[in-house]
Amino acid sequence: MKLAVFVNSYSEPAVPDRLTAEKLGIVLVQNGVYHAALKKDGGASSVLSRDANFYALSEDLQSRGFTDADVDSKVKVINYDDLVDLIFNDYEKSIWL
Amino acid sequence: MPIKKLAFIVDKLPYKAETSRLALTHAISSQTVEIYLEDGDNVEPVLAFVGDGVLNCLKDQKALDHYSISSMEMHLKNALLLDLKVLVCKEDLESFGLTEDSIVMDAEEIGGEETTKVVPYDTILQEMDSSDHILYF
Amino acid sequence: MGKLTLGCFSSLVGSMTLDFAVKLSEAAVRKGHEVDLWLSGNGIMLGKTKQSKFRDYSYLAGPIEELLKTGKFKVTNCEACAKARGINKEDTMEGFGIHSMDWYLASAFDADRVLHIGGE
Repeated sequence: MKLAVFVNSYSEPAVPDRLTAEKLGIVLVQNGVYHAALKKDGGASSVLSRDANFYALSEDLQSRGFTDADVDSKVKVINYDDLVDLIFNDYEKSIWL
Repeated sequence: MPIKKLAFIVDKLPYKAETSRLALTHAISSQTVEIYLEDGDNVEPVLAFVGDGVLNCLKDQKALDHYSISSMEMHLKNALLLDLKVLVCKEDLESFGLTEDSIVMDAEEIGGEETTKVVPYDTILQEMDSSDHILYF
Repeated sequence: MGKLTLGCFSSLVGSMTLDFAVKLSEAAVRKGHEVDLWLSGNGIMLGKTKQSKFRDYSYLAGPIEELLKTGKFKVTNCEACAKARGINKEDTMEGFGIHSMDWYLASAFDADRVLHIGGE
């Protein structure tokens, strides 16, 4: 399946390793954007080591004081309009963890 | 006559929050969804408990006695009575040191014929894969 | 264009998850899609009448009214969840549907996409 997983909190593990899909998109929203923008003890968030496509919601990044420049290079910054396109065009199912 | 499969996946603990209760009551509401649909159309729910969610299935819950609310055990038995497919993740159950003896496996005392199935996580993932939509609680 | 069914069970003001659901709905409608928003649990507060607009607090009544005017957005409260909280029809904003839980499943039946956001 093509599955979008919405991560809304800054906790580990963000997405269980056993949750897999043919195409996995990890969408960082709300406090989940901290996974994209912060390094803890010098290391990127472990969620970014998953074999997945990563997205972070720009409105939630900016609300928290981050800019695109703060975001890990693996993560694509998207807005709500882009998110709608992702949901309809790229991922047939979505879950909110 | 389309039948749409909805996977209700529960990974939250019971009682402090109502999330897992709402998962069960929504899944059970599949019994009456036909009133909104065309003749012959229906939804097929599958209810699966993973992670902390397996703890919703423990037997001997006393929520009714202490808080005057229906227990998750009661909702689960209703689900089985109504022939809903109920799955519990084997690995997660075992991670808590629990077995089938610890959880609600049937609703025989109220006339239910369906039983809970303890299955590997991969089986639940397959149910998610084969469903039309996933409602992750 | 397609149909998106959202289920949101998070509370009004105390969490910004409803804000997410509303902004996602706005974006989907802007792009020509239809949206059904099902509210259950604490989410039913979204439909409460007499919400005040303060800058320190999320104010979603206005955006919801605008969405309803588009004709491409439906919002429905879970009847049992609302009544348990003392919110009856007369306490609910105009334009909100009030139904039992099977309505959500029926909405999901013919949706192209479903995002169940759940509660906190």
